[in-house]
Amino acid sequence: MQVLIFSWEYPPRKIGQLAEYIDSLSKELVKNGINTNIITYHDFLTGTFEEKSGLKIVRISNPVRSHISFLTWILTLNQEIERAAANIIYQQKKKIELINVYDWHFIPAALTLKNAFEIPILYSIESLEDYRSQKSSQPYNMAIKSIERLGCYESDRISVKSEAIKEAIMNSYDVSEKKIEVFGLDLSSNFKGIKNLLNTIKRRKK
Amino acid sequence: MKEDLTVMMLSWEFPPRVIGGISPHVFFLSKNLVEIGINVHVVTCDFPEAPSHEVIDGVNVHRVDSYKNPSPDFASWVYLMNMNMQKEAANIAKKVNKKIDVFHSHDWLVATAGIGLKHVFRKPLLVTMHSTEIGRRDGLHTQTEKMIHETEAWLTYEAWKVICCSDYMVSHVGWAFGLPKDKLVMIPNGVKPQDNNKSAKKIQTNIRNKFALPDEKIVLFVGRLVYEKGVQILVNAAPKILEKVNCKFIIVGNGYMKEQLNDIVKSMNLDKKILFSGFIEEDMLLKLQKCADVSVVPSLFEPFGIVALEAMASGSPVVVSDTGGLSEIVDHDFTGVKVYPNNPESLAWGVTKVLLDNDYREKIRKNAYKKIREKYDWKKIALQTKQIYKSVLGEYSKSFWA
Repeated sequence: MQVLIFSWEYPPRKIGQLAEYIDSLSKELVKNGINTNIITYHDFLTGTFEEKSGLKIVRISNPVRSHISFLTWILTLNQEIERAAANIIYQQKKKIELINVYDWHFIPAALTLKNAFEIPILYSIESLEDYRSQKSSQPYNMAIKSIERLGCYESDRISVKSEAIKEAIMNSYDVSEKKIEVFGLDLSSNFKGIKNLLNTIKRRKK
Repeated sequence: MKEDLTVMMLSWEFPPRVIGGISPHVFFLSKNLVEIGINVHVVTCDFPEAPSHEVIDGVNVHRVDSYKNPSPDFASWVYLMNMNMQKEAANIAKKVNKKIDVFHSHDWLVATAGIGLKHVFRKPLLVTMHSTEIGRRDGLHTQTEKMIHETEAWLTYEAWKVICCSDYMVSHVGWAFGLPKDKLVMIPNGVKPQDNNKSAKKIQTNIRNKFALPDEKIVLFVGRLVYEKGVQILVNAAPKILEKVNCKFIIVGNGYMKEQLNDIVKSMNLDKKILFSGFIEEDMLLKLQKCADVSVVPSLFEPFGIVALEAMASGSPVVVSDTGGLSEIVDHDFTGVKVYPNNPESLAWGVTKVLLDNDYREKIRKNAYKKIREKYDWKKIALQTKQIYKSVLGEYSKSFWA
């Protein structure tokens, strides 16, 4: 089984808790025989490609250096995410079973890849723009929220770590309760959640 | 290599959505490519009451919902629109019977969609650069302008070939992005020649009478009333022209200089001779161009100069400033008159010459009309474009992506 993980932070680049979490989760996936590729941002702390004990990490940077906001930086970065993902998809003989995308940043890339390659998307929501911006309704925050909404609508599955965030997503983005799974906080239950999802995908294919 | 060829065009405007020159360009190019046997899918922004999918003259047009994301500014809107366009285009490319062979983007407005699709489908990307940010702004002054410029640079880097519509733009784009010469291709913009049937004479007289007195010759300017279009030079040349010929100046278009120009014209006591008509519908404009005794294009900066071509296509003699794309369109004394840019004396000389010398006027008018049919014919342009697609696909077939 093969998984692609998109996250805008991964060690040594740590912005919040996500980096450490992705690190532990990917190790757990590899340990259990799941072929795991991580695509993340390259901030020149490391090289652009790394392979350690079965885990492949591709780091990409933005060809456009001048930006007017974090939003334009993220939106242009997405094309490089696609390029890196397409390189992995075309190079490998085995099909990628799942793209697991963390928060809104790389939703645009994930959705294009889903349409082009028919790969299911698991959208793992760690936090929401409403939390980060104190429910701001400025156009800038609304734009990010519209990407979160699109991700919720077009992804195949949503995973969260608490009932509270599940509730918030259902209220903000009109998502059906059935689509969201609460994986909980600890690593083993998150791993189990992904593993179960992969098994379901496999069974459905047969 | 297979004979059958399928192209996906990306454009932020396509009729009925018309913002600038890209919309008619993509429309005529696509239509004429279909006529020579190429399958064309255009993916573009939506427009009120236009269907999300339709076939126009054999061209498959797909319109993408492009205003669903709130945007803090225009550039962010462009990138968000590209996100939606790319996602839908991937869906279309996956579903169409014939696999897409080439992606063709028009300007930076569809840069990120084109780049993403190229990598996801591993097919060559071509771009037509209609204009550049550094040219439009005469330099890069703000963070937004730098960001757009770098997006354009990225797009030209990712493209297999970069098409420009004039030799002037080839050298400008090559300079702006440091591109190798063999990456750049010149294919002119096209224009549709207007029929010159005599039965329209009566309508023409009617139109003429709306704008000018019977004994006045018509001097026509069409363009935005902005500094780089040089309308102020025409206003300054007007008294010198009026010393020799009785004529009416008709200025079509709007822009930030309108009020200022109006005041100047009044202070010169020329408000009975210089008419600001504002925006005119296309049908009416075509008729007016046919009536014009001379069309003037006094631009200071002009990447291509479609307005001169349109005047020539309607059979109006042209006087243009010798700059940018205009220098290439007009052969002096043969298909029009070239005058010194930003020089009212020179412009007055050119206009007077055309208005006073009937034989000369007829000669340049006929030559220009002939040249339009030969060089700026959409069918020929489509054939040239097809050649580029084929040579790119030939190179591609030897790459590891094929």
